Amino acid sequence: MAMIEVKNITKSYGDHTVLKDFSVDFDQSGVTVILGPSGTGKSTLLRCINGLEKTNSGDILVDGLSVNDKKNLKQIRMTCGMVFQHTVIFPHLNVMENLIMSPMKILKTPKGEAIDKARYYLKKVGLESKEKSMHNELSGGEQQRIAIARALMMNPKALLLDEITSALDPEMTREVQNVLESLAADGVCMLCVTHEMSFARDVASRILFLDGGSIVCDAPKDEFFGKIRQENDRINKFLSFIGE
Amino acid sequence: MQEVHVMGQYSQLAVGDIYTFLEACGVTLLVTLVSLVLGTLLGTALGLVRCSKNKIISSLPLIIMEPLRNSPLVVQLFLVYYGLPMVFGILLDAYPAAILTLSLNTAAFFAVLVHNSITAIPVSQWEAGYALGHGKASTFVNVIFRQALRLLIPQAITLYINQLQCSSMISLISLRDICRIGQLVSVRTMQPFLVWGIVFALYYVISFPLARLASYLEKRVNFSY
Ligand SMILES: Nc1ncnc2c1ncn2[C@@H]1O[C@H](COP(=O)(O)OP(=O)(O)O)[C@@H](O)[C@H]1O
Ligand SMILES: [Mg+2]
Repeated sequence: MAMIEVKNITKSYGDHTVLKDFSVDFDQSGVTVILGPSGTGKSTLLRCINGLEKTNSGDILVDGLSVNDKKNLKQIRMTCGMVFQHTVIFPHLNVMENLIMSPMKILKTPKGEAIDKARYYLKKVGLESKEKSMHNELSGGEQQRIAIARALMMNPKALLLDEITSALDPEMTREVQNVLESLAADGVCMLCVTHEMSFARDVASRILFLDGGSIVCDAPKDEFFGKIRQENDRINKFLSFIGE
Repeated sequence: MQEVHVMGQYSQLAVGDIYTFLEACGVTLLVTLVSLVLGTLLGTALGLVRCSKNKIISSLPLIIMEPLRNSPLVVQLFLVYYGLPMVFGILLDAYPAAILTLSLNTAAFFAVLVHNSITAIPVSQWEAGYALGHGKASTFVNVIFRQALRLLIPQAITLYINQLQCSSMISLISLRDICRIGQLVSVRTMQPFLVWGIVFALYYVISFPLARLASYLEKRVNFSY
């Protein structure tokens, strides 16, 4: 059984259908990069998986739990940590408090233990010196790395990352990608929407290409950048368009 | 206590007047503080109901809030003090009438502040809470309300200062607050500039530090989402 099973979901906003009878599975392994033109439903897919959006029909199972049952949402959201395009550090808390608040409130982790764990993850994202900083003392890239560390504090089995570098300049993008690469090397499972092709090339194991609310291509990375790119005009055009 | 007004003769401001004014400060502060506490509690409740997603429920508090926010406090006070006994046979003493009116009035304005502070927090903060596994209540308490509180507090202090000043209306139902004593002593001594200067100073001394505190707290809130 796959960790995430998306089964024939349909998702519409008003009369605009974004995902139509959409199905896909994700195992708890490797890095899946989700590509596709903007407005095609990539964010919608991730938001449906952790129940931030309700689907109109179909079902999504995360570790066998259905997102359609409200009781499961808490567990599902802890299983799938999410980081958004626009950083959401809690501005009333400093970095350390941002990290330990949820484990202490939800997992009932004792404070000392939570702090040790937070220091471990802060080191992982290269920000061990920022424990006391507030959000306005951090660059955009630092905030995203904090958000990644904060998600990891809940022991997720997978990270859902929605264009987390697209609001960053190239240097900060590099910093965040280095963190993701080191997490990938540790075997953290990630579903990653991105337009950074270097990241897709270097880190992805699987590429999912969406267009018009459905899957155009679902293939291992090498196949995608090799054979499929040559044969599929639409994908070739997309990759050329974004400068690959 | 110094006799406040003796017909036909004027007397100088005397030491006894200090005590009279201190007592009057007590009256002003008592009525104001009790009303602010009650008004804050009721206003918080109304403000939270205003935040309900259900449009009908969220508009219910407006039934009380709108009349209170759109009529003069002094009219509300007379309505309660003189009007209620005539229509409903509810005879309130001056103190309860003053406190009831000022509490309700404060609640109406406080509810707006609560509602605005909560809705000012972006949806993304809710989603970040949910995404970490917090339920609705937990996200509200740990993420939203704590941010809203920082927006709310300086505005609440400004409201409190305003209500303190508006409490001078209670002198019109003959409660011996600072303003009322000012009237009486001013008439007795025929030194209106001096006496009203004292009254002015008393309100100012209480209000000004609070106003400074509010603007300090306001500057400290530097959330940018
Ligand atoms: N909350 C919403 N209300 C209405 N339409 C939305 C909403 N969110 C997304 N959409 C629409 O759904 C489509 C897919 O959006 P999205 O999943 O964000 O695309 P992507 O992430 O691939 O760029 C877009 O056309 C977008 O305008
Ligand atoms: Mg998107």
